[in-house]
Amino acid sequence: MFDRSDAAPFDEAFEPYGQVRPEYSAAIDYFSRQGVEGIEHMHQSADLAMLNQGVTFTVYSDSRGTEKIFPFDLMPRLITAAEWDHIERGIIQRVTAMNMFLEDIYHEQKILRSGLIPPSQILGSSLYCREMTGLNPIGGVHVHISGIDLIRNQDGEFMVLEDNLRCPSGVSYVIENRLVSSRIMPDLLGSYRVRPVSQYPQMLYEAMNSFSQSRDSTIAVLTPGVYNSAYFEHTFLASQMGAELVEGPDLLVNNDKLYMKTTRGLKRIDVLYLRLDTDYIDPLVFRPDSLLGVPGLMHVYRAGNVTLANAPGNGVADDKSLYAYTPDIIRFYLGEEPILPIVPTYLGSRPDDLAYMLNHLPELVIKPTDASGGYGLVVGSHASKQELAECAANLKANPDHYVAQPIQQLSTHPSFVEQDGKQAFCSRHIDLRPFAICGADGDVKVLSGGLTRVALKRGSLVVNSSQGGGSKDTWVLYPNKSPVQTGDSHA
Amino acid sequence: MLSRAARSLYRLGFLIERTENIARILDVNSRMSVEQEAFSELDVWSPILEITHNREGFEEHFGEVSAAGVVRLLLADTENPYSVRACIIEAREIARTAREMLSEELWLHINLFYLQTEHELSGGDLHRWKDFSEKVHLFCNAFHGLMQNTMVRGDAWQFMRMGVALERAQMTQRILQIKYHLLLPSSSDVGSALDMHQWQALLRSVSGYEAYRRLYKAKIEPAKVVKLLLLNPGFPRSVHFGIREVSLALREIGMCNEDQFQLYRDTEQFLDDLRGGAAGEEIISMGLFNYLQSVDSRCHLLGMQIHKAFFDTITVSLEDDRERCFTIQINQQQQANGAVGIRDTSNDQFTTSGRQELSA
Repeated sequence: MFDRSDAAPFDEAFEPYGQVRPEYSAAIDYFSRQGVEGIEHMHQSADLAMLNQGVTFTVYSDSRGTEKIFPFDLMPRLITAAEWDHIERGIIQRVTAMNMFLEDIYHEQKILRSGLIPPSQILGSSLYCREMTGLNPIGGVHVHISGIDLIRNQDGEFMVLEDNLRCPSGVSYVIENRLVSSRIMPDLLGSYRVRPVSQYPQMLYEAMNSFSQSRDSTIAVLTPGVYNSAYFEHTFLASQMGAELVEGPDLLVNNDKLYMKTTRGLKRIDVLYLRLDTDYIDPLVFRPDSLLGVPGLMHVYRAGNVTLANAPGNGVADDKSLYAYTPDIIRFYLGEEPILPIVPTYLGSRPDDLAYMLNHLPELVIKPTDASGGYGLVVGSHASKQELAECAANLKANPDHYVAQPIQQLSTHPSFVEQDGKQAFCSRHIDLRPFAICGADGDVKVLSGGLTRVALKRGSLVVNSSQGGGSKDTWVLYPNKSPVQTGDSHA
Repeated sequence: MLSRAARSLYRLGFLIERTENIARILDVNSRMSVEQEAFSELDVWSPILEITHNREGFEEHFGEVSAAGVVRLLLADTENPYSVRACIIEAREIARTAREMLSEELWLHINLFYLQTEHELSGGDLHRWKDFSEKVHLFCNAFHGLMQNTMVRGDAWQFMRMGVALERAQMTQRILQIKYHLLLPSSSDVGSALDMHQWQALLRSVSGYEAYRRLYKAKIEPAKVVKLLLLNPGFPRSVHFGIREVSLALREIGMCNEDQFQLYRDTEQFLDDLRGGAAGEEIISMGLFNYLQSVDSRCHLLGMQIHKAFFDTITVSLEDDRERCFTIQINQQQQANGAVGIRDTSNDQFTTSGRQELSA
C-alpha cells in the first residue's frame, strides 16, 4: 500500500528509517484500512464530484481550450500548529516588506539610493510600471492578495521558492478540496483538529471593502473571460464574495469614475479585483491592442476613484530576478532577519553568476525570468544533452532573462498513483502555496491552509497544474489540547 | 444587473425552453406517425423541418426526408441551432459564464445533464432516442423546479423567466403550425378519425390533454384546442400565459428608459388582445394560419425589443454645466476584431446566433 522507494531525504509522512511521523499515524492507519479498492473508489468519487461541479481549469492546447479537472490526491497534507506558526509569521513578514518595497520604489526609492539593489535591476525592468510612480494607493497597500510558494528542503526546513504578487490563483481549489475531503472522508477529517478554510471569501470581502470610501461599496472581479485557465476561480470568488464578475467590455469610464453597464444604467464600482495582468488592464496606457481591459482605467485610478487589487506594477517585485534580493529587502525595511529563507539564486545578469551557471548546468534549475506556470523551465539533472545545449545557447544570448537555482530536494508525500502496474501510495514531490490578504490597515492575514501541489509524474520536480501536477487538501492542525476554534482562522 | 449577464440569463432560459420544445416536437411527430399507415400516406416529418427552419439544409445533408435523419438533425447535430445537443452545449457554456448568478443546485443540474448528453450522443447511436427524449423532459422540468425552489426572485430570475416565457409562447404556436402543415394537403379530412387522432397527439405533446379533458370534457374540437393553446390564461403553455409572464417579469425588473417603457406597453397591448380577443371559432374562420403568423411576428418583435431595451443599449445620465440632469441611451460597444487573448469567440457566436434568431 505504501511504497517509499521514491522518498526524498525529507518525507512528510515518514521518518528517514520508515517510521510514521506521529501526526500522520491516524491518516496512514485510515488509508491502510480502506484497501486499494476502497481508495480507488474514493478517488473516483472525488474526481466525479469535481467534474460534476465544473471545478476545472483550461489548458491552452487548442484555440477553444480543453477543460480538465485538477487531479485531486486523496491523502491530505498535514501541517502541525508549530510548523504553521513559523510559516504564518514568515509570510506576514515577507508580504509586509514587499508592500513597503513597492511603495518605496514608486516613491522615494530609498532602497536604490542605499545601493542595496542596482537601480538598473528595478528601473531597467520591463515590469517596472512608470505609470505608478507617485501614486498613493490607500494604506500604501500594493499587494492585497498574494500567494507565496514554499518548499521544504532535505532538512525539512520551509524555504520560499517564489513570490506571486500579481494575481495568484488556486485558492478556490483550497476550498473545493476541503469540501471534497469532508464528503468522502468525513471520519478522518473529523478525527483531526483541522482549521477551517471556508472563511476565505469573507476575509477577502472584508479586505476589499476596507479600501472603499463609501459604505455601500460595489466590488467587482475583472476576469479575462471564460477561456482563461482560472475562470472557475473567478466565478467562484465573485459568487462567494457577493461581488460582480465583470469583463472589460462591461465597464466604462466617465468623468474619472469607473462604471459597469447594467440594465438600469451605469453603476459605480469602488473596488476592482484584477484577475488579469497589468499589461492588459488599460489599452490607453499599456498594451494598446488589449480588449480585455478598460480604456481610461488608469485615469480613474490616478484620480483616486477606484482601488485596484492588486495594484498595477507589482510584477517588478515578484520577478524571478529580484528574488535574490528579497532577504536584503526584508532587512532593509523591517530591520529583521527573514523568517523564511530563500533558495540560493544565481542571476544571469551578474557575470560571475553566469559563468557559474554555464559550468554547472546539470546541477541547476534554469528559469526564464518572464514566464510563469512552469513554462520554459529546465531542470538540469532531467534534461537531455540537446536540451542542455539549447539552454546554454539561450543563456549566452540573453543572460538577463534567466536565473538559476541549485536543484532542491523537494520534500515528498505519499500520493495515490499507479506505478509499475499497481496502485499504491508512492512518494511524490510537493510544494505549498499559502494565501495572504492585506487590508487597508496594512495588516496581513494568512489563510490557515494552502494549496499543496504535487508532481504526480514519477521523479518530477515540477508541480504546476499545466505540467501534470495535482493538488492535495492541506490540513493545518490546531495546537494540541487547546479549545477548537471554529469560524475564525487566527486565534 | 450587468447587461451582459442579463443577456446570458435570458438566453439560458430561452435555450432550456427550446431544448424541451424540440423534444416535444419530436414526440408529437412520432405520436402522429404512429398508426399513420392505417390512415393515409402523410409525410409527418417535412413540417417539422419547416418549423425548425431546417428544410433546405436537410436535403443537402441527408437527401430524402426520413425519420432517422430528422431525429439525428434535431437531437445530435451540433451544427444545427435547433438541436437538443447544440442547445445543451450552449446553455452549459452560458451557465458556466453566469455561474455566480445561478444557484449551486441549478448549475450542478445543467452541468450534469451536459456531461450526460455528451456521453450519450457523441457515440452517434440514436436507436434509443425516445429514452433520451424522456430524459430531456425530466431535465427541463427539474430545471424549472430548481429555478423556482432555489433562486432568489431577483433580476437574474426575472430575465431567465422572460427567456423561458417568450420561447414557450413561440413554440406553442409553432406546434400548432405543425398541425396546420399536416392538414394542408387534404383539408377535407377535417373531423375525420385521423384528424382527431392528430389533435389528440398535439394536445399530449404540450401536456394539454388532461387540461383539455377537464375544461371541455370528452369531445375534441379544433376550435377549443386552439383556444386552450392560444388564449387560456391558466394553461401554462398557452401563448396568453407566456406573454403574461413576460409582462410580469418586466414589471419586476423595472423600467428606466424609453425603450423599456415601450416594450412594456407593447407587451400589455399584446396581452390585452389575447385577453379580449377572438374566440377559437373566429380564429379558425379568419384563418388559423394568418392568426398564428401574427402571433409569431409579435413574439419576434418583443424579442427584438427586449434585446434593444436591455442588452444592446445602455442608459447614461449626464449633467451639463448648469447641473441639469438628462438621460441618453447609447449603444453598447461591440467587440472589434483581432482581440488579444482567446476570450471572445463565445460572445461573438452568441450575439450572431441571437441575431439569426431575431431575423429568422
